[in-house]
Amino acid sequence: MQPAQKKFLVRFVVTLGAFYLLVAIQPVNDHVVVPFTELLVRISTVLLAAIGEKTQSVGTVIQSPAFAVDVKNGCNGVEAALLLVAAMLAFPASPKQRALGIAGGLSVIQGVNLFRIVSLFWLGVHHRNVFELFHAAVWQTALILLAVGIFLAWSRFAGGGEPVEARG
Amino acid sequence: MRLAARVLLGFLAGLALWWSATPVYNRLLAGMAEGAIRAMERPRATRLYAEDRRLVIDRADFPSTSDRPSLPVDDLTFNVILFLSLAATTRGLLRDRAVRGVAVSLLVLFALHVLAVVANVEAFYATRLGAWSAAHYGPFSRNLWATAMHFWRFVGCYAAAFLLWWFLVRAAPAAPTASRAPSGRSSSRAASAGGPSRASRPRGKG
Repeated sequence: MQPAQKKFLVRFVVTLGAFYLLVAIQPVNDHVVVPFTELLVRISTVLLAAIGEKTQSVGTVIQSPAFAVDVKNGCNGVEAALLLVAAMLAFPASPKQRALGIAGGLSVIQGVNLFRIVSLFWLGVHHRNVFELFHAAVWQTALILLAVGIFLAWSRFAGGGEPVEARG
Repeated sequence: MRLAARVLLGFLAGLALWWSATPVYNRLLAGMAEGAIRAMERPRATRLYAEDRRLVIDRADFPSTSDRPSLPVDDLTFNVILFLSLAATTRGLLRDRAVRGVAVSLLVLFALHVLAVVANVEAFYATRLGAWSAAHYGPFSRNLWATAMHFWRFVGCYAAAFLLWWFLVRAAPAAPTASRAPSGRSSSRAASAGGPSRASRPRGKG
């Protein structure tokens, strides 16, 4: 393994571990992660109403007479956000490039994650038989793929336009 | 568009493989994880067996009339779909050393899945069995196993798939090209694989 690879690996693992410890702290979870998840739930409820689903939000729960979901860590996009930010911080780039990448990347991830929550609720109401497959495998994977895709696109931009594949 | 098609193909192949192989894979996982857990416990009481898409936890000292708890294993193993989706984006995946990278990565993922099952079973023992948990696990080991379980589910499973692809598959095709190429430019690319230093990165105006 080349020194630059080792550096990236060490930085990524250390940053991800630090982020994980941060969000695992109970006060951070209670005062940051949970309120953020409740905000996602409220927005999702509005979006679901726009497509004709009669739902209401209670804390981190979206419920209707037909179905209910409790949005927890793993479904709030925080895990994809942590991976993306850790990778961007580990990759050599200027502070401005990092700031732009993180702001843009997190916006895209959370926008898509709202679509995930809405679509999963819709599947739970109308196609319950495939809900678990989409919940456990399809959407989880898709969101992380999105994060990796954003990182690769950004690393090309941060690398001055050189295709990232050429370095890997 | 071609890259998106490759990701989609890898994703669908990974999903099909994961979904169809899970019953057999879970039996293998149960056998390996059971061996690892029994190696750490006295008396050796744990029995794990696959049932549908879950692993059932049994112990010789559980009352015979009580229900057996089970773990949803899909949550622990689905990162193979992520890994295969990422692997599908690699140029020359079937032609060169990337194949070896994929094979090694899948073996590492299997080992990590075994460890994830061990952590989940131990976390269950340490935190979910009331007085029995308190009697057999101290505060440190309770926190250790619970953190290991949570870390894997929250970010570890994704990070493992990403890092294996990044270092063992994606980086693999570059090496033969770099060793054959006589020019300094190719060498600098190889040297910068996976996270170039700013000094070694060509800035590319021409």
